[in-house]
Amino acid sequence: MEEDIDGDIEDIEALNYDDLDNVSKLQKSQRFTDIMQKVEAALQNGSDISNHGMVLEDDPEYQLIVDCNVLSVDIENEIVIIHNFIRDKYRLKFPELESLVHHPIDYARVVKKIGNEMDLTLVDLEGLLPSAIIMVVSVTASTTSGKPLPEDVLQKTIDACDRALALDAAKKKVLDFVESRMSYIAPNLSAIVGSAVAAKLMGTAGGLSALAKMPACNVQLLGAKKKNLAGFSTATSQFRVGYLEQTEIFQSTPPPLRMRACRLLAAKSTLAARVDSTRGDPSGTAGRSFREEIHKKIEKWQEPPPAKQPKPLPVPDSEPKKKRGGRRLRKMKERYAVTDMRKLANRMLFGVPEESSLGDGLGEGYGMLGQAGSGKLRVSVGQSKLAAKVAKRFKEKSYGSSGATSGLTSSLAFTPVQGIELSNPQAHAHQLGGGTQSTYFSETGTFSKIKKT
Amino acid sequence: MNATYDTPRRLILNLEMDEVLSSVAETIKNFAVIYLVDISEVPDFNTMYELYDPSTVMFFFRNKHIMIDLGTGNNNKINWALKDKQEFIDIVETVYRGARKGRGLVIAPKDYSTKYRY
Repeated sequence: MEEDIDGDIEDIEALNYDDLDNVSKLQKSQRFTDIMQKVEAALQNGSDISNHGMVLEDDPEYQLIVDCNVLSVDIENEIVIIHNFIRDKYRLKFPELESLVHHPIDYARVVKKIGNEMDLTLVDLEGLLPSAIIMVVSVTASTTSGKPLPEDVLQKTIDACDRALALDAAKKKVLDFVESRMSYIAPNLSAIVGSAVAAKLMGTAGGLSALAKMPACNVQLLGAKKKNLAGFSTATSQFRVGYLEQTEIFQSTPPPLRMRACRLLAAKSTLAARVDSTRGDPSGTAGRSFREEIHKKIEKWQEPPPAKQPKPLPVPDSEPKKKRGGRRLRKMKERYAVTDMRKLANRMLFGVPEESSLGDGLGEGYGMLGQAGSGKLRVSVGQSKLAAKVAKRFKEKSYGSSGATSGLTSSLAFTPVQGIELSNPQAHAHQLGGGTQSTYFSETGTFSKIKKT
Repeated sequence: MNATYDTPRRLILNLEMDEVLSSVAETIKNFAVIYLVDISEVPDFNTMYELYDPSTVMFFFRNKHIMIDLGTGNNNKINWALKDKQEFIDIVETVYRGARKGRGLVIAPKDYSTKYRY
């Protein structure tokens, strides 16, 4: 790899945060250079399938691929560190840029292009960023609070950008290499999602076994782009899909089914990765069968629903009505239940003519209501719970009515038979079941002893 | 015309009515079955049931003839073409309910005394 960049910088400044090398060491490491050399060689040799006979773990190429995976994760971390470095330096010049351009590599490119320029109309960002973002960047740059950087700081920043870009290129090479070997490393996974996506997944996860250990929901999100920039609509954002978005299966499903397809893909590819990590199926048949399954399922989802059959009517009266019970129903029934007054009016004493509404046997009969000898003078209606509700409503309606009783009631009453009669409160308790009266219809009555005559 | 047990039946003699009956047959098959009789081919019951109209529908339940009070004056049969499917289903259901309870005469849900007026 290019090692010629860093010669000058490390001589000038050492042990200083200003120095990129103190924070970013990967590019200088021996490991990095070794692996990159091997990758280059392997890429030039083309794929080498002759070593099928060997057990995979002993195969040096497999080892290289494992190393590559680890390396790609390391490169990514390194890029983040360099990005932070560039950002810190460039903040003096253009602080808003870091919130507008999130991707580290894009940021590095933009920084390199802008350099120390204050007027962004002279800078052509075409091709580096989407046009909408270019517009926002230009507008922000015209009102930025930054000042041009001193020359040495600028030089360091540009160098750091170069480093980042170099690392990115290295990572690309590594991924290409892994991709070309993918069908050898993970045949099942590449059978489902394709070798490019499989390589990316493996690279991001940090190896095949790491990928196999992930739950499917995480696999679905590998490589997902994060939030959209502020101010741009989120209506078009593909929600919760990562590298799997680029698979052929995903692209060929109609948009309404895409979320389900993505979940299905993630699940099956996780299974395939697990098979591959244990080398359970080197030929890739498991992967192909998974792929078939996925295709079948997606087709099934697209089937129209079955036609509606006209249902014949059920036999009338064959299904009895569902009667409800419970407290609510009981309370409701109470409102229409037969009251005590009505019960008394329905019954008659033997041998005692009843009073009637029009007198003389005409009109409605009153039965035992108001007969002399019963405990109560006037059977009050107050016991019913319906009346309680009605009374409450009546109270609310009549504004400021006084107490419930009117002032005209007295405990004296004149009856035709016995003259003045006073009410006997104790007698009320036995009213309906008094010993002298017939207990045939009594609700509270029990069996009585019948003497033999 | 066959004797039936458990389900009411009718006689029909007109294409308009035929249409309604054939479309309704599947829906009410759980409690009624429809028989189509051509009175020119089977004239045996023409005098007994007075089958002289183009279409006549009669109801039988367990070998008993069920009468319906339609308001027309003739409680024994429906001797015009009933166009509405839902009306017909309602009549059949009323007949079934009443017949199961043992009634010989049921009251139709709709009054047809003014059926010649539009």
